Amino acid sequence: MAVWWWIPLRSLWRNRRRTLLSIGIVALGTAVSFFVLGFVESSRRLIQESTVAEYGNLQIASPTLWSGASDSYERLIPPDAAARVAATLADEPALTGSTDQLQFSGLLARGERTQVVRATGVVPGNGVLDFDDLVVNGRGLAPDDTAAILVGRSLAEKLGLSPGDSITLTLTTVDGAYNASPFAVAGVYRFTSESFEQQVVFVPLGYAQRVLHTEGVDRVIVSLSRLDATDPARERLQSTLRAAGLPYDVKTWDELSPYYRQLSSYFDALFGFLTLAVFVLVFFIILQVLTLAFLERTREIGTIRALGTTRAQVFRLFFAESAWLAVIGSAAGIAVGLLLGAIFNAAGIEWRPPGTVEPVRLVVQQGLATAAIPFVVSVAATLLSALFPSLEAARLRVVDALRVD
Amino acid sequence: MHEPSRFCHFRGERFLEATHLTKVYRVGGEPVYALRDVQFAAPQGDFVVINGPSGSGKTTLLNLIAVIDRPTSGEVYIEGTPTSQQSEGQLAALRKTKIGLVFQSFNLIPVLTAAENVEYPLLLQQVTRPERRARVEAMLEEVGLSTLARRRPNALSGGQRQRVAIARALVTGPKVVLADEPTANLDSETGGAVMDLMRRLNEEHCVTFVVVTHDPAVSKYAKRRVRILDGRLEEGDGRVVVDPAS
Repeated sequence: MAVWWWIPLRSLWRNRRRTLLSIGIVALGTAVSFFVLGFVESSRRLIQESTVAEYGNLQIASPTLWSGASDSYERLIPPDAAARVAATLADEPALTGSTDQLQFSGLLARGERTQVVRATGVVPGNGVLDFDDLVVNGRGLAPDDTAAILVGRSLAEKLGLSPGDSITLTLTTVDGAYNASPFAVAGVYRFTSESFEQQVVFVPLGYAQRVLHTEGVDRVIVSLSRLDATDPARERLQSTLRAAGLPYDVKTWDELSPYYRQLSSYFDALFGFLTLAVFVLVFFIILQVLTLAFLERTREIGTIRALGTTRAQVFRLFFAESAWLAVIGSAAGIAVGLLLGAIFNAAGIEWRPPGTVEPVRLVVQQGLATAAIPFVVSVAATLLSALFPSLEAARLRVVDALRVD
Repeated sequence: MHEPSRFCHFRGERFLEATHLTKVYRVGGEPVYALRDVQFAAPQGDFVVINGPSGSGKTTLLNLIAVIDRPTSGEVYIEGTPTSQQSEGQLAALRKTKIGLVFQSFNLIPVLTAAENVEYPLLLQQVTRPERRARVEAMLEEVGLSTLARRRPNALSGGQRQRVAIARALVTGPKVVLADEPTANLDSETGGAVMDLMRRLNEEHCVTFVVVTHDPAVSKYAKRRVRILDGRLEEGDGRVVVDPAS
């Protein structure tokens, strides 16, 4: 090991108590930051999964669907265009499946009780967002179903619905006429969001088109093999659609979910604030400790300068000592954070977030990616705090330094 | 490592020379003269003892000729080259290669062993590891500390620490060793042993030694004695003590 590294490493242990205190402070800051980031990332991932389960990875639709410029059915994709869109998807390497959807608003009534719903026409048995997996009572929609409907658990409770019950869905057709259509409840599904369970019902796409008097769909849902394949796939699909002259936009799941974007921004702000607090705390405490430590070695600085050590070398010696402190402290912090995370995860703590139906198990997600930021922040704070005392040490006049007892 | 010289004598080459050195400090806005127009020269192989009471200016003089401080006026020449206009880096290089320093309080680096303390100046000179090891071993052998090479300073006696400091000062083969009160923190017996060692090394290595002290007992080791009082230098009896055999 180069002299400029092993001498600082030895110097670290000349006052063990103070060094352990410094390492402890850096480690504490790193561990807290690492733990919180692990929790934030775990929560973010849960919400990502839930959002993708609701929206798919990508959606392809007319720009007017998302702009809110028109509530009319002008947004619908005609069958021939939908077929061409499906053909462009065939070349997408990350594609695992796709489906057409047709969403519309309606009033669901059972006897005296009514509920405004967002009905979604889905392709039964398609496997992409058909919600078959989430059925908790009854069955999912089948390909040969016609007037069948899948309702959320909260809605079923509110309207007192069970599989086999009949209900009426009143809607406006694409040509502006009212249509009241009877449906039979095929099954009841559960979802993470209570409002989703209350407001969203699923019907077979073919039957939805029939009652709406259209052959069109309003979006194509794309499912991909990986979450991180979303953005590249979007770029590819968008350019393919443009090249094919199809006037549709491709949006990603996070663009489609304002809730996810808000929550993600909140998580970023929360972690950013915590990181800043850790940075400032580590910076000022370590600054004080190092200033005192370096001050005590004034005569030693005078001695090594008198022996021919240059100012740059003195700076390097002291800065390297702080670098050891930073790396050891931050690494210890990551180890402590891992331990805390393991204890927390083993405890199996559950929490029911507002607006959700079921409690969620709180998990701290820890890995290299979540360790990197706390590690780098603590190292940076420690090194930055070492800059001033190291420069001061290097600037000392030899003769003045030698006079200090 | 220098080969021991059997014929060490004044060769007239002035490795170190100071002319018209004046050092003034400002205390409460008033000038205080630490040195006044001092002329000093040390030929190679010399062993000069600068004697004087506390506050007489002897440490100031040593700091100036060690180029760790700058004079208010006057000039210090190292091998005939003036130093007053040299940069901090150039002066550090001079100290590293040509000057050895011995301090009153030994000033060893506490986290390094005796051998590593002696090795430190060689690290600064980027001497290769095998050569460093050989030179450190030889130097510790010479000062009688081979068996204590792996001890840290706090596990050594005062005399042993000063021997390590002397080994550190000599290991790079400097032209001159400047010692500031090297016996002040030692008992008289140990101090005598340290001075014996310095004198022997002066003879064997033909290295110039300049020793400042307030201890009159140190003067007997001098080849040349100089007295300093109120910042002015007075040559002593001028007696040059050279072993006729050397």
